[in-house]
Formats: sequence, structure tokens, C-alpha cells
Amino acid sequence: MAQMPALIPKEVEIQRLKKIWLIVIAMGSTAASVEVDNFVDGSLHQTSIRDSAFTPAHWWLYSHFVALPLGWGSVAIYDRKVPVLRGPNNSMNTGLKMTILGYLATMFTIGVNEMWHFWFVEEIFAVPNHWMFNMGVVVAFMGALAYVVRVYARLVELGAETPGENPYVAEMYKMALEGKLYSRSIP
Amino acid sequence: MTLPKGFGSGGAGGSSSADVERMIGRRVENMTGMITISYWAAVLATFGGTAAGYFYYPWAYPTPSGHYAFIVLVIIEAIGYIFCVKVMQEGSNKNSNGVVAGSIAGSAAFTLFVSIFVGW
Repeated sequence: MAQMPALIPKEVEIQRLKKIWLIVIAMGSTAASVEVDNFVDGSLHQTSIRDSAFTPAHWWLYSHFVALPLGWGSVAIYDRKVPVLRGPNNSMNTGLKMTILGYLATMFTIGVNEMWHFWFVEEIFAVPNHWMFNMGVVVAFMGALAYVVRVYARLVELGAETPGENPYVAEMYKMALEGKLYSRSIP
Repeated sequence: MTLPKGFGSGGAGGSSSADVERMIGRRVENMTGMITISYWAAVLATFGGTAAGYFYYPWAYPTPSGHYAFIVLVIIEAIGYIFCVKVMQEGSNKNSNGVVAGSIAGSAAFTLFVSIFVGW
């Protein structure tokens, strides 16, 4: 793929991409921290047996399911200032769309989950209301990966980041720059 | 290069460096203070969350579990903090290694203090 036309000055684009990067790192840390909460929540449900919806494990889990859609939403608002990240027909970037939809699904699942547990007070992990949490997170992660690789590849293209020395990783960056890491028709 | 409305010289020529600076606003390499405050806010909020666990739900969250979660989380937050500052300053002549080192050392001391003296 030829180098994308520069619609804004290079220095401005680098600064904007890095501001997006900042929010993404903060949200990545939040998502990583919830891995710990999976164990905290598991320990709760095997000891205190669902005494209340308002336990620290749930505050943590539920607040992150609200914080991440809002955080990615703020990326979507700021993202409009970087022309190269536009999606098909000047819409939102497809990876970003998937991320927001995935996390919105998990956000609404909080309500579904609490309604379920109002009637069914059990401690089983594999109940259907939890599937939506898991599926939402998987969709969001796939979208986020596509988006983050695109941002990183553009920073490499602009010379603000150095591609990895590992030949396999370098090949991945090259494919990303050529628009072949995922479909060219879905930028 | 065509610049957005309000920038440039009204069609008489290209963009000046003043226009570029106006479009950029606050540069990312100058955001260390804000990132550091956010890091400390995250550490204190994490302490609050885990302390709520072992003070209000001690039957479900024994103190060692709370401290374990707190230590792991502060490490995750510290990695994010270092990434943020280093990525924002790479390629510029700004260097906030001292602030980052002081902040990480302070949070490590705070984490040790909490793990040894709080909640037992």
C-alpha cells in the first residue's frame, strides 16, 4: 500500500496518535487488572455465597464494564481527528466499532446478570447470562487488537516507532502497513 | 497543505509552525504530571477497593488475599505508568526518568507499608 496521503501535518498526527495510545494503555491496564478480579470474584462465590450484589469483587467487575465502553467511546470521539484511522465510507474504524459494541454488550449484561441472579441464586460459572460477558469481551478484544495494530503501524509508518527486529514481527508490521493484516476492504 | 478552518493564512500559503503547535495543543511529552497524578489516583483507589474487601467482608476476603490483589494490581498499574511516560517522551528531548523512578519507589514503599501494617 502506498503511503497514506498526509491530510494533517505529520507532527500533529504523531501527537494525536500518541494521545490515543495513552488512553489505550490506561484501558489495557484496567482490562489486565480485571484478570485479578476474576479470581477475587471466584473466591467470593465459593465462600460467602452471593450475599449481596454490592461486594468489592462486583464493584470492580461492573465498574470496569462501564469504564471501558466509555473509555473506548472517548477514543472514538478523539479518533475523528486522525484521517488515516477512518473506517469504510468515512465511518468509525471497524476495529473500534467492534470494541465499543463488545463492551456495550458486557455493560448491558450487568443488568441481565443481576436480573438472572435475582431469581436464580446459584454459584455456577457456566450459566447463560455469563456467556454474554465472555462473548462481549472476546469481540471487544478482537476489535481492540485490530485497532491497536493499525495505530501502531501508522506510528511506524510515520517514523515515530521502530519496528521490531524479530523477522516474524517485522513481517507482521509490513503486512499491517500494506493493509494485508486484515481485510483491505474493512480498514 | 490545506489546514482546517481557522488555521493557516486563509489560502495564501502553507501552514506555519505556530499553526502546527496550535493544532497539537498540549504535547504528549509534557503530560508527565497528569499521568503521574492519574497513576497515584489509581494506586489509592486500588488500596480503597482491596481495603473495603478485608475491612467490610473479612469472611470473604481475608487480609492476605486483599494484599496479594493489591500488590499484583500496583505492579500492573506501574507497568502501565512506565509505558505511558516512556512512549510519550520517546523521540523528544524530554526526560522524566527521575519523576517516574521516585513515583515507582514511593508506590513500592506504600505497598510494602500497607502489606505489613494494614488490616492485620
